[in-house]
Amino acid sequence: MTQARIDLDLNVRDLPFSGKFSLRCRQDKRPALSKALGLDLPGKIGGSAGAGTRRAFCVGPDEWMILCSEAERAELAKVCAALYGGTPHSLVDVSFREVGIAVSGRDSATLLSMFCARDLSRIAVGGGVRTLFDTAQALILRDGSFDYQLYVWRSFHPHVSALLGVGESELRTGL
Amino acid sequence: MADYRVAGKGRINRRKTIRFTFDGRSFTGFEGDTVASALLANGVHLMGRSFKYHRPRGPVTAGSEEPNALIGTSRGTKGRFEPNTRATVQEIHDGLEATSQNKWPSLKVDVGEVNDKLHKLFAAGFYYKTFMWPKSFWDRVYEPFIRSAAGLGVSPTEIDPDTYASRYLHCDLLIVGAGSAGLGAALTAARSGAHVVLVDENVELGGSLLCEDGIEIDGRAASDWVEAARDELAEMDNVRTLTRTTAIGYYHENMVALAQKLTDHLAQVPEHAPRERMWRVRAKQVVLAQGALERPLMFDGNDRPGVMLAGSAQTYLHKYGVLVGRNVAIATSHDSAWYAAFDLADAGAKIAAIIDVRADADAALRAEADRRGIRVHVNHTVTHARGRLRVKGLRVARQNGAGRPTGAFVIGCDAVLMSGGWTPSLHLFSHTKGSLHWDEETGVFLPGEKTENCHIAGAGRGLWGHQNTVNDGVLAANAALASLGHDAHEARFAVSKDRPGSGIVVRELPTDANAANARAFTDFQNDVTAKDIRLAVKHGMRSIEHVKRFTTNGMATDQGKMANMNGLNVAADQLGRPAPKVGLTTFRPPYTPTTFGTFAGYHKEELFELTRKTPIDGWAEENGAAFEPVSLWRRAWYFPQAGEDMRTAVARECAATRKSLGMFDASTLGKIEVVGPDAAEFMNRMYTNPWTKLGVGRCRYGLLLGEDGFIRDDGVIGRMSQDRFHVTTTTGGAARVLTMMEHYLQTEWPDLDVWLTSTTEQWSTIALNGPNARNVLEPFVEGLDISGDAFAHMSVAECTVAGFEARLFRISFTGELGFEVNVPSAHGRALWEKLHAEGRKYDVCVYGTETMHVLRAEKGYIIVGQDTDGTVTPMDAGLSWAIGKKKLDFVGKRSLDRPDMLVPDRKQLVGLLTEDPETVLEEGAQIVEHGDTGLPARMIGHVTSSYWSAALNRSIAMAMVEGGFDRHGKSVDIPMPGATHGAKITGTNFYDPEGSRINM
Repeated sequence: MTQARIDLDLNVRDLPFSGKFSLRCRQDKRPALSKALGLDLPGKIGGSAGAGTRRAFCVGPDEWMILCSEAERAELAKVCAALYGGTPHSLVDVSFREVGIAVSGRDSATLLSMFCARDLSRIAVGGGVRTLFDTAQALILRDGSFDYQLYVWRSFHPHVSALLGVGESELRTGL
Repeated sequence: MADYRVAGKGRINRRKTIRFTFDGRSFTGFEGDTVASALLANGVHLMGRSFKYHRPRGPVTAGSEEPNALIGTSRGTKGRFEPNTRATVQEIHDGLEATSQNKWPSLKVDVGEVNDKLHKLFAAGFYYKTFMWPKSFWDRVYEPFIRSAAGLGVSPTEIDPDTYASRYLHCDLLIVGAGSAGLGAALTAARSGAHVVLVDENVELGGSLLCEDGIEIDGRAASDWVEAARDELAEMDNVRTLTRTTAIGYYHENMVALAQKLTDHLAQVPEHAPRERMWRVRAKQVVLAQGALERPLMFDGNDRPGVMLAGSAQTYLHKYGVLVGRNVAIATSHDSAWYAAFDLADAGAKIAAIIDVRADADAALRAEADRRGIRVHVNHTVTHARGRLRVKGLRVARQNGAGRPTGAFVIGCDAVLMSGGWTPSLHLFSHTKGSLHWDEETGVFLPGEKTENCHIAGAGRGLWGHQNTVNDGVLAANAALASLGHDAHEARFAVSKDRPGSGIVVRELPTDANAANARAFTDFQNDVTAKDIRLAVKHGMRSIEHVKRFTTNGMATDQGKMANMNGLNVAADQLGRPAPKVGLTTFRPPYTPTTFGTFAGYHKEELFELTRKTPIDGWAEENGAAFEPVSLWRRAWYFPQAGEDMRTAVARECAATRKSLGMFDASTLGKIEVVGPDAAEFMNRMYTNPWTKLGVGRCRYGLLLGEDGFIRDDGVIGRMSQDRFHVTTTTGGAARVLTMMEHYLQTEWPDLDVWLTSTTEQWSTIALNGPNARNVLEPFVEGLDISGDAFAHMSVAECTVAGFEARLFRISFTGELGFEVNVPSAHGRALWEKLHAEGRKYDVCVYGTETMHVLRAEKGYIIVGQDTDGTVTPMDAGLSWAIGKKKLDFVGKRSLDRPDMLVPDRKQLVGLLTEDPETVLEEGAQIVEHGDTGLPARMIGHVTSSYWSAALNRSIAMAMVEGGFDRHGKSVDIPMPGATHGAKITGTNFYDPEGSRINM
């Protein structure tokens, strides 16, 4: 019992820069924006949709987080701007506001459960929730059974990252 | 050393001997022992001194409810000392150092025991009555004395170096307690496939099943059945079993807190291993199978070492293989203690007698006693326990027809096992505010109406006998499963050789001695006796809440687990009212004492609270900045150079900025992107200012009020396009403002097509101020002419700065020519370094928040939260110009017309210039009329901001003063420690009042 656990299956790493937009609009404008974005904006909080490197997560009744590759940022802003006249909405680039962390491996949910009150096993694979991680607002996405991504504000990242480190050390003790 | 171990008994590991010390003396025990069981195995009962009377005490229980055997424990190194550890819970390990408490010079010879002789002086209410007079003695004599005498054990003074963990857990069914009811419930639910969490505070599952002889379940010995159940549960993926884990609190929506002990039983603790873990469990259903706690009998000397609960003696025997005595007397009002007698007799102890206070006893029990040759005294009472450091005998008397004792005789013994019956443990249920019903037949409270999705099973709802309790667990699990939509499992467990029984509830046992001298304890930990309870009633206490506070009965850290029901019965008797009319006090979390560390979890040292840092923070740190906290941010405060104190550094930074060029990291300013066709309308409604006519590419100072008309926030707001505003807020107000805006949008104006997004951290903001601000910036700017004419003061534009996409504002919070460059936050530091390198040509000076505060004060710009305090209107602050006079409405507008807002003697923002220019007033200092030396002087205002101004070579201050606008030119006094300073009231714009510098 006092031996360090060696079978820990856990990998925590910072994600590279990517494009992120906060999209807000009324529900009746969803189809038009879905068409422009090339994905079906989900209508239900927690729902998600993806097309290629673009993904959309519904995080509020009129709010979506759009993730895309860095290269797509300008194009995405352009197609939405073109639509604005007839389809009022708010598209705000938050690519630099958010920093991503990938937490993967069989022990990933246990690690996250140290700091997150949500039942992460209930996030459908591919889905995501906006919640609190310790005291930081976080978007937590579930990419696979044991693969999670956290997006937190830039200045929250060191705290969140340090917590994950403490948690990982704790898991390694096997206690 | 005496050896009270019994061969072949107990669940300890006799192959592993453990050495530990108690009060410096070395003892041995076995792996699996607690401090209490190991000391008892060595014949030691005396483990502590009581709180008030310093009476010698030994363990009265074998579990977490222990009120007496509280010891200090050391986990080795500095800071790892814990007072009031329960010896009955703490497992021994090699190297454990345990110490007794509340004694001097030693446990056996304690000077404080004099209190016991003076017990009549220290009766209940002593403090309330005695320390009333003389009044002047309270502060200097009584309170310090009481405080030093109060509390048991010594608080640690060093920082606890251990780590503490926490986790959230979600499950279908949480089962609290793994005795027969809990295991019955767990097996039933686990076999259905539900996600089950089973917790027990003990080291092993099994509860009292491991503490009795002979019981069989489904044809197996109870301990074998427990082990099979344990193994079955361990094999199942849908079950999590947590031992050494106490459910300490039951909160709303089935949130149950569990405190798990992880390393206190280990001799070697792995690095980084947490000492304890708080589990926050959200369970869809909860089964409370907490069992019942045995009640002591109340007789004179019922607290002597060697007097303990009968069930606990069985625990010591069956779990630890320890006989608590060799010549044991039993005193009881419940059948269960008879079985304790049988178990101890069968293990080789002599049973001196069974004294049953009931009129008669069950024939089968009497036959069992006869078979063992045990003498039985039914319808007898115990009037006194002899012995001081250890019980030596019991004085027993027959009760005559009127219940009066006659024909007293003494029974010699070295231990007394008592049982006053069993109290269902409803602490957690009580946390849920579930109602309790009084059960007249058994004289206990039972669970009534429930407020949460929980089920109470087993002895916790008054059932007795394992046949009843284990199958009640099945019923509870099935009820929970039905609610969860799982199929029920109808399996029942067959218990043979069961030990059902019943008992009666009694008050203090009748005595033929002077009852006023009887020390029959109800609360061992707080030293409350039955006569204290009666005294409280005689003093007029009617409710149990008052009795409790007058006597402190049930107010110790064990929360009256043993004391409450006995105290209530005595109080009810004294009042001549039924117990439920007298009432039961409410249990509060935590169920058992819990370390602060467990509550704090990971929140200590660097992780105590999230600290936000800007992208430029690292540069500031490398360049010697002093920092200050501003809300969650740490901000560069000033940049002292060698030999500089704060005042000289700030003076240098101010002068350099006004002379040539200053650079400032303004990234923490809150930023909100307001977008949509109704953006301007929304801004009109939120802010006092008019926004409709603000041109694209222009900025305006915005003022935000609350509904009450008082200033809440401010900031410069730029119009990026017809439908898009870049709003800035104060650093500390960012989240509050966004929340307030969202609130209005969602609840008041859901018709508006406008949306809000926080962009605080999207941008890094670098402020350049000073006559050379444009010169340093110009070479980096592409796509924009920033000359004075083309890019006037209060302009904003998107452009490229040093190759980075940027939003460039020409604004000033210093009164100098100023720009604020916003670039994506990831590029903030890169741009900072480029501008700083270029700035060397102009003797650039990097400044922090203090210089920012001074420079803005020289211009009379307010800081919300410093110069305002939540009671300041725009008019009070001299900001009437920021109100859109033609606007029909904005948040707070109506309040501004209230009569109170318009009276002329409201506190108004003014400048202050001290008579002595060298004097820098204290911020927060009160202001009085000039020459007012009355005591107390009437305070007419207070200083809000005060600095040394390098530009003016004198001090300046801002203040809120009654009718201040009409006092310009007049003198006031500011009393401060040491001296009263005179000052003249002025306007607030101290420097460059014409504003020419801003338009360079």
